[in-house]
Amino acid sequence: MSGRFRAAGEVAIVGFAHSPIQRVADDPLGVLTLRTIREAVADAGLDMTAIDGFTTGALFPSSGGRPLRDGIEIVTSDWIVDQLHVQPRWLCGFQGLGQICGSVILATEAIASGAADYVVVHRAMYNPPGRYHANPMTHASGGDQWSAPHGFWGPPTHMALTYTEYQQRYGATREHMATVVVGGRAAGSQNPWSHWYDRPLTRDEYLSARMIAEPMSMLDCDIPVTGVGAFVLTSKERARDLPHKPVYVAGYAQGRSQSVNGVPPWRLDDVEEGGRAVGRILWENTGLGPDEIDVPQVYDAFSPFVYLWLEALGFCERGEGFEYVQDPGTSPGLTFRTGGGAIGNGRMHGVPQMLECYLQLAGRAGDRQLAGVETGIACQAAPSVGGVVAYST
Amino acid sequence: MTTTDESQARPLPPIPVPDELSAEFWRLAAEGVLATQRCTACGWRAYPPRMVCVGCHADPPGFEWAPVSGRGRLATWTIIRDALLPGFAHLTPYVVAEVELEEQDGLRVVARLHDVPEDALAIGLPLTVQFVDGGEGTAIPVFARADS
Ligand SMILES: [Zn+2]
Repeated sequence: MSGRFRAAGEVAIVGFAHSPIQRVADDPLGVLTLRTIREAVADAGLDMTAIDGFTTGALFPSSGGRPLRDGIEIVTSDWIVDQLHVQPRWLCGFQGLGQICGSVILATEAIASGAADYVVVHRAMYNPPGRYHANPMTHASGGDQWSAPHGFWGPPTHMALTYTEYQQRYGATREHMATVVVGGRAAGSQNPWSHWYDRPLTRDEYLSARMIAEPMSMLDCDIPVTGVGAFVLTSKERARDLPHKPVYVAGYAQGRSQSVNGVPPWRLDDVEEGGRAVGRILWENTGLGPDEIDVPQVYDAFSPFVYLWLEALGFCERGEGFEYVQDPGTSPGLTFRTGGGAIGNGRMHGVPQMLECYLQLAGRAGDRQLAGVETGIACQAAPSVGGVVAYST
Repeated sequence: MTTTDESQARPLPPIPVPDELSAEFWRLAAEGVLATQRCTACGWRAYPPRMVCVGCHADPPGFEWAPVSGRGRLATWTIIRDALLPGFAHLTPYVVAEVELEEQDGLRVVARLHDVPEDALAIGLPLTVQFVDGGEGTAIPVFARADS
């Protein structure tokens, strides 16, 4: 049995829209999401009545001890359908990590199977008042009892354990990481909708950034924002009649390798092993290899993810990511800088990666358009537990 | 303001709430014993406790609580300089570590380090468990240098 994805090239992105990325939005998140979806549908040259499928992965990572309200902190596709007061042929939510990848995978399968013809994939991100991951809990139940009573709380601290082990094992330093973060911000500073528009960063600013959970500083984490990205997908046949050059889904892989012992979700050995499994699945699924990818958009919401994804997908060897990113001349992986990623845009959970793949492959990247690009990948979350989607022209 | 007033106003670290899976762990911890689940079929140890043994997938699962020596090695760490839990703000900076217990490869416990200076942090540092008061009758494992 072949591991090749039979629907490769059958489903295309045909339009997009992006809201401004702001710390505090001018409108409620639900309103902003509806508006962005309408703009994406118009961008695709379609009328809202053509849309017969909706999906998202609505997970919001900051509990803060508060309840989540649909339309305010999160926006599900069910909420969108309720507001539009329509009966879609297909409506589905993605559960799990790698939310935007998971949504695209669901949409692709729905269109390839004929369950829907035109699907809107959206992702709405919210920046809550107060500190993003701060939590006033007095008691720790369930899984929290193994972390919170130890003063261990929040994804940056989880990443810090992974990053320390990586640094110690391979010799990576913050000077190495400065290249990643300064590069992301340089690209983001050119991007009109970025939170960091016109605000590049110097190496010295990075190296003197305030530490949260050493070795993770403020600037190793993307900044929490409110914003929405939306995409319209349809079949290759229907895409031919629409105004923009289609960008096809070429295949994908998802990681589901949780650690079997211990508390943090991203133990280095497990991320490396699970990530390489995801890489094998991706290349078998797409029939491509890392050398053939023109626009590798690796995930960077926490800066060490850049190394871990590049290594997992075979752009470089295990433990060499931190050296690989230093040389833009020989490192195709550095084209992740073109869109700025999460570090250059804000905490948009994989939207910057997918969007940059789309814009570059559709020839819509404006001043930063690369020449002759035909393939891209967009990653989200940790290689071992997230997802990656490959695109082609 | 007196010291007592300050400490009363200060938020406390989160207190663990024992449940069906964890009650025995916290009962033993309160007696100063660190334990993990151990599969009665294959001997594989689990921490934190789980429903099904990943080692053998025995059905029905048969886990027992088995004490460990409390000795292990520093696997990785982070120095918390900005606590996201208010009850730990007064302790910053403090070190949270993953300690690999000597009983089984990959068997790691997350806990604070006690009295380990930052310049002594190194992969493989020998550590041993101690317990600190966790409130409401609970005891929380922390790790100190094995040679101290
Ligand atoms: Zn077993």
